[in-house]
Amino acid sequence: MAKYAMAVDLGRCQGCRACMEACKIENNTPQGVFWMYVFRTETGEYPHTKLDFMPRPCQQCNNPPCVKVCPVGARFQREDGIVLTDYDRCIGCRYCEVACPYGVNYYNWRTPEEAFADYGTDYGDPQVAAVTGGLIPPYKNPDLARLQGKEQRLTAGSAHNVGVMEKCTFCVQRVDKGLEPACVDVCPVHALHFGDIEDENSPISQYINQRTGFKLLEELGTEPSVFYLNGTPPGPDTREIERPLTEVGS
Amino acid sequence: MRRYVTTIMIVAGLGLMILSYTAMATPQCNTSVACSNPKVSFAAGVFILGIVIAFSSAVFYSVYKGTK
Amino acid sequence: MTAGTIPTTEPKGGHQSTGELPQKIGQLSPSWIVFFVAMLAVTAVGFYAYLLQVNNGLIVTGLRGLGTMAGATWGLYVAYYVYFIGVSFAGITVAALIRIFRIEKLEPVARIGELLTVVSLILGALAIMADLEHPWRAIVNLFKYGRPQSPFFGTFTMVIAGYLFASLVYLYVTSRRDAALLAERDSRFKRLYRFLAAGYTDTRAQRRLDRRVTFWLAITILPLLVIAHSTVGFVFGLQAGRPGWFGALQAPGFVVLAGVSGIGNLIMLAAIVRSATRTKGRITIDAFSWLGKLLLGLLITYLYFTAVEILTITYQPGASELTLSEALLSGTYAWIFWGAIASLVIAAVLLIWQALTRRWSIGLVVATGVLVNIGAVAKRYLIVVPSQTHGQLLPYSTGTYTPNWVEWAIVFGLFALGALMIGVFMKIFPIVPLEETDTP
Repeated sequence: MAKYAMAVDLGRCQGCRACMEACKIENNTPQGVFWMYVFRTETGEYPHTKLDFMPRPCQQCNNPPCVKVCPVGARFQREDGIVLTDYDRCIGCRYCEVACPYGVNYYNWRTPEEAFADYGTDYGDPQVAAVTGGLIPPYKNPDLARLQGKEQRLTAGSAHNVGVMEKCTFCVQRVDKGLEPACVDVCPVHALHFGDIEDENSPISQYINQRTGFKLLEELGTEPSVFYLNGTPPGPDTREIERPLTEVGS
Repeated sequence: MRRYVTTIMIVAGLGLMILSYTAMATPQCNTSVACSNPKVSFAAGVFILGIVIAFSSAVFYSVYKGTK
Repeated sequence: MTAGTIPTTEPKGGHQSTGELPQKIGQLSPSWIVFFVAMLAVTAVGFYAYLLQVNNGLIVTGLRGLGTMAGATWGLYVAYYVYFIGVSFAGITVAALIRIFRIEKLEPVARIGELLTVVSLILGALAIMADLEHPWRAIVNLFKYGRPQSPFFGTFTMVIAGYLFASLVYLYVTSRRDAALLAERDSRFKRLYRFLAAGYTDTRAQRRLDRRVTFWLAITILPLLVIAHSTVGFVFGLQAGRPGWFGALQAPGFVVLAGVSGIGNLIMLAAIVRSATRTKGRITIDAFSWLGKLLLGLLITYLYFTAVEILTITYQPGASELTLSEALLSGTYAWIFWGAIASLVIAAVLLIWQALTRRWSIGLVVATGVLVNIGAVAKRYLIVVPSQTHGQLLPYSTGTYTPNWVEWAIVFGLFALGALMIGVFMKIFPIVPLEETDTP
């Protein structure tokens, strides 16, 4: 059985956020929702500041706090290590969100109609229609509505139904087809790597073994499956350089 | 009779709770798919039923008139 | 020892006249109707807010996601859920004091306490339902797929089902005698009373039986109470992923603060019932002084816990604990924090003063009841919210959370619903146990 992991080469990441974009397109996530997020952070005081980029997918923990706290077993871990949410079962208590130290969970605060209606573009406008060729977003990835894996549960992006929790799935719908997650596929500088770490000869195992790295907040005992290489973990002084996205969705 | 039925209700209630917790739910495993489902559906419901039966014994004990 | 458990020292109440029910049962006075309509209106506004939320999603509330959305995903609903569950402490504690420790001066407020327990547990369950977008799915899935690892399993099996049911059983068993007494009179509730009495005959044997049942119920519900309030504490105390939550003190702290808010609420409610049902002769200063002493003990324990907590988060805090403690002690949440501490300390001082002078005043005890509840609500809010907005473990921006009108409407609606339940109960059944008039 494979055990999937992701390696993030921080030395390569240039903060372009193409992975975030790819994730949104692949998983059709609503506005303000970033299953893959890239921190753009600053450390130190001006003029001696250091700019860093740190992609943050779900860490796919092997001792996942979110799975433990889920009262109905909607959050579970597959045998291949991917932690998924069963959208048909989730009751929306958001316990997984508060239990997760990484902040990767996104709750569907709005109904899908509203969540997607708000992109700010009038697609009926003739000028816009000329560019889009008459296609009216959102683009719906047909794979997301299919039941996934041995368990046959609704765990991929789904319809982003109001009142259920969702998060990065390592693009389970792609992984099950033998493809890499969208973010890994799209990264222009090969900062993201994906594969089976149980196989010692797999490219990702070798890539990780040849480099030094860390796992995020490993001291909490979460045993993440995401390896950060060629970089340093964020310190207490590290802060985001961007405004929070509070106004999004309000 | 009063004591008899009350005892049976308490034992049955506790029994259902223990049965549901140990045999029907999955109290100890964490990182396997199987653990996201109880071994038997409605294990939690049975647990609550056990609580209800156990405490209902008090009502029976108090209300029962005796066999006259 | 006579067969009755209720002392007959108090003067007779006004329920001796034939035909008329005691404690103004069934009499809809103008002030009661005003109360009823007002509470109904507030409940309706809350229900409207809830419908708005069900139709549009929780986006209509002030809640937002953690992390990139920089909000709080648990807010007022969870804070009040914890608070309501805490208030339920009152009933069974008073029952236990009467049955196990034989403090019979508390007997007249026992049923008020039991009713408060039942009502607040229902409100707690509704508060958590208000937090969910799919309440029906939640009810079905919790029964169907409930997982014991989740601290929520404990809260819904132990608290909402077990504790609530046990309290209902206790309330019923202790009410049968009164139902039987009232069923002897002609009133519009006669059939209800007869049904509730379920063939009760006031004999020595029956009283002995009931005494045994209530004693054992009190004995078994008491540990259930500790477990129930602890499981609510475990919801937070077992989580290492948020600053300020993880700790062994959470569960006992929850139990003790539950006691503080529960007894405080019981004091307020007893004072209201006392004047509303003309039972000033029954609910005397003795009951209030006992409740005051109990409250004082719990309050001092809680203040000690708070001091321990403050020392722990300020002595040598980690980076995220430091951010959190600054937000609590001198930052965004300082006014709530110090307001809570001030109201709890003032309440403690008032109680200590009364205990030392041995001169208890109902007004002052009620004032402490109000103060500790303000403190308890504030502390519940501070347990739930700041750990989500401040001191995140990854370099997310600091979050903000302001409850909006929808949340307040639902919370006030819940309070009003609780007041309605108690108000209606008072008009149907004697909320103060009837006196022992004779010994069979």
